[in-house]
Amino acid sequence: MIAVKSSRPPLLATLAECANYRTLFFFLTIRDLKLRFRQTAVGVLWALVQPLMPMLIFAAVFGRVLRPATGPVPYMLFVLSGLAPWAFFANAVVIAAGTFVSNYNLLNKVYFPRALLPAAAVSACIFDWLISTVFLLGLMLVQSFRPHAGWFLLPAVLLWGIVLAMSVGLGAAALIVIYRDLKHLFPFLVQLWMYATPVIYPLAMLPLRLQWAAGLNPMAGVVESYRWCLFGGLLNGQLVTLSLLSTAVMLIGAGVVFQHLESDLAERA
Amino acid sequence: MNTVSVQGLTKRFTLRGRKPEYRSISDWFKLGRSAGAAQRVRSFAALEDVSFEARPGDVIGVIGRNGAGKSTLLKILSRILRPTEGSFVLNGRVSSLLEVGSGFHVELTGRENIYLNGAILGMRRSEIRSKFDEIVAFSGVETYLDEPVKHYSSGMYMRLAFAVAAHIEPEILLLDEVLAVGDAEFQKKCFGKIEEAGRRGLTILFVSHSVQAVNRLCNRALLLEKGRLIQDGPVKEVTASYLHSGLESSGERIYQDLEHAPGDDCVRLRRVRVCSRAGVTQTAVEIGEEFGVEVEFSIFDGSVALFPLITLNNEWGPLFSTVDAGTELHGHPRTPGTYRFTVWVPAHLLSPGTLTVSVAVYSFRTYREHLSDPDAVSFVALETQGGARGHFAGYMAGSVRPLLDWTEERC
Repeated sequence: MIAVKSSRPPLLATLAECANYRTLFFFLTIRDLKLRFRQTAVGVLWALVQPLMPMLIFAAVFGRVLRPATGPVPYMLFVLSGLAPWAFFANAVVIAAGTFVSNYNLLNKVYFPRALLPAAAVSACIFDWLISTVFLLGLMLVQSFRPHAGWFLLPAVLLWGIVLAMSVGLGAAALIVIYRDLKHLFPFLVQLWMYATPVIYPLAMLPLRLQWAAGLNPMAGVVESYRWCLFGGLLNGQLVTLSLLSTAVMLIGAGVVFQHLESDLAERA
Repeated sequence: MNTVSVQGLTKRFTLRGRKPEYRSISDWFKLGRSAGAAQRVRSFAALEDVSFEARPGDVIGVIGRNGAGKSTLLKILSRILRPTEGSFVLNGRVSSLLEVGSGFHVELTGRENIYLNGAILGMRRSEIRSKFDEIVAFSGVETYLDEPVKHYSSGMYMRLAFAVAAHIEPEILLLDEVLAVGDAEFQKKCFGKIEEAGRRGLTILFVSHSVQAVNRLCNRALLLEKGRLIQDGPVKEVTASYLHSGLESSGERIYQDLEHAPGDDCVRLRRVRVCSRAGVTQTAVEIGEEFGVEVEFSIFDGSVALFPLITLNNEWGPLFSTVDAGTELHGHPRTPGTYRFTVWVPAHLLSPGTLTVSVAVYSFRTYREHLSDPDAVSFVALETQGGARGHFAGYMAGSVRPLLDWTEERC
């Protein structure tokens, strides 16, 4: 039974409904995944090339000029271990952010829980991160790193990154419907965001007292934890806690923004 | 048990003049400078206080002119738009088809699109899998199933899209003129599917511009005008009054003021009406049934041989004229008084549309037109049963639609 009133439906009811649309979520993800690699010569290899290309560039330029101290980890691996989560995140949120505007025709003709569109866009990018993680682990084995317990915590970090990307993607997708300028601004903001995240430089480049503050950026926590899982070493607990908190803030904020706009998307998109 | 219950549904859209619906950076600055400045906001009610209920087996046509709110109503019930006021309850599994092929992607193959589109229409994966072969057979695109649909002809594309839609199994179906696609053969299949669904006890809401389609498929109709529900009733009545809105007369005209009625000092027109054999005035006639055109004259001069003539016109002009072939060559004189003439139009003659009746009376000893009313009454000819159309659902040309014998043999 469907009962609709003129007031906005509560967020929990909206989320509960998503569960009824598992099939659609699955097929939207498959669609996004297939469309990205269809009719390209090397197909899924692009998922690997996307973080590898900037790795080579950063390693060649940044690594030679600044010679950052990355401890026992070669800079090449260090950059790749930052770019793997980052490439996923940046790709996912930029694609997800455009989904409401680009699927206007679907929004205007069919009902389904709207959150499925950005969520499916994000989950279609997970594949890239999985591939680059496997590639990284292989590379580490070749470079005679030993497997260790941290590797088994990688799924938890992946999950964290996915939740974060879904929150940011969902919030951005909703905001872009209202503030169209964001559509052009957002990819640029994401690029800037990378430099605010310890992707190509080690956290150690910041003064020790201030390192915890980097955790205000939730992606800093994801990248640092990912590296820690891969290479072990020290992990700044304050930073991770703060990042988890700011992820929660992002999640709730995106939920509130989205819920405010959800039922009017067809009118405004 | 009602499957659809709509209470006071109202939808207002806000128009902000030339200001777009979304905000841009330049607006933020303006907002800063003249915060609180009243914006000229106009609102426009696309739907106002619409209430109705429906039961299983109700196949409801929603008709009205452009901008009457038909599509808005359907979009609200489909949960694409949120009502400004009011509420509704849909009791049962709902499918809405506002277009065929929603979410079809040209890069995906036919097979992939069946799954994606099925999911968009609310089918579960197991459901799509079990109906997959049936869908493919219905669409007739078997050989191209693994080709991207961008290589399909537009006909194949439409057939595949409709095939998926035809295999959803809702209890409430919301349909927007999606039937206007495809060739005649395919339309027939689709009409068949909908008729069958109605018989199975579905509740169907069907928005259409085509009164013919509504008449064929529906048993009840809602007439919307400027966002308001102005009539809700049996399909024939509602479609008839829709077609008549804007026309002056309907089915009957009585000339109250005899002095100013059409005519002269010999004869004047009293009354014209369209009626059934049972004598009931008809605003709409079924073309598969006989009906009468009844004309009453007051004759004042008993010496003149009067000759009445009735003409039926469709929107392009005169369809035919009819005279009493039994009277003598130039009519005959009648003693003064009131006379009623009825001409019976046989079943299976007219084609559907709006017709008008012209009435004239002549005398020929010295030629004289005593009376002429070119637009005495108008009525609607409807086609609701098979008749000459049979099960064909496509467009049929021509001003008449006789039911003729066909033979077929193999040579």
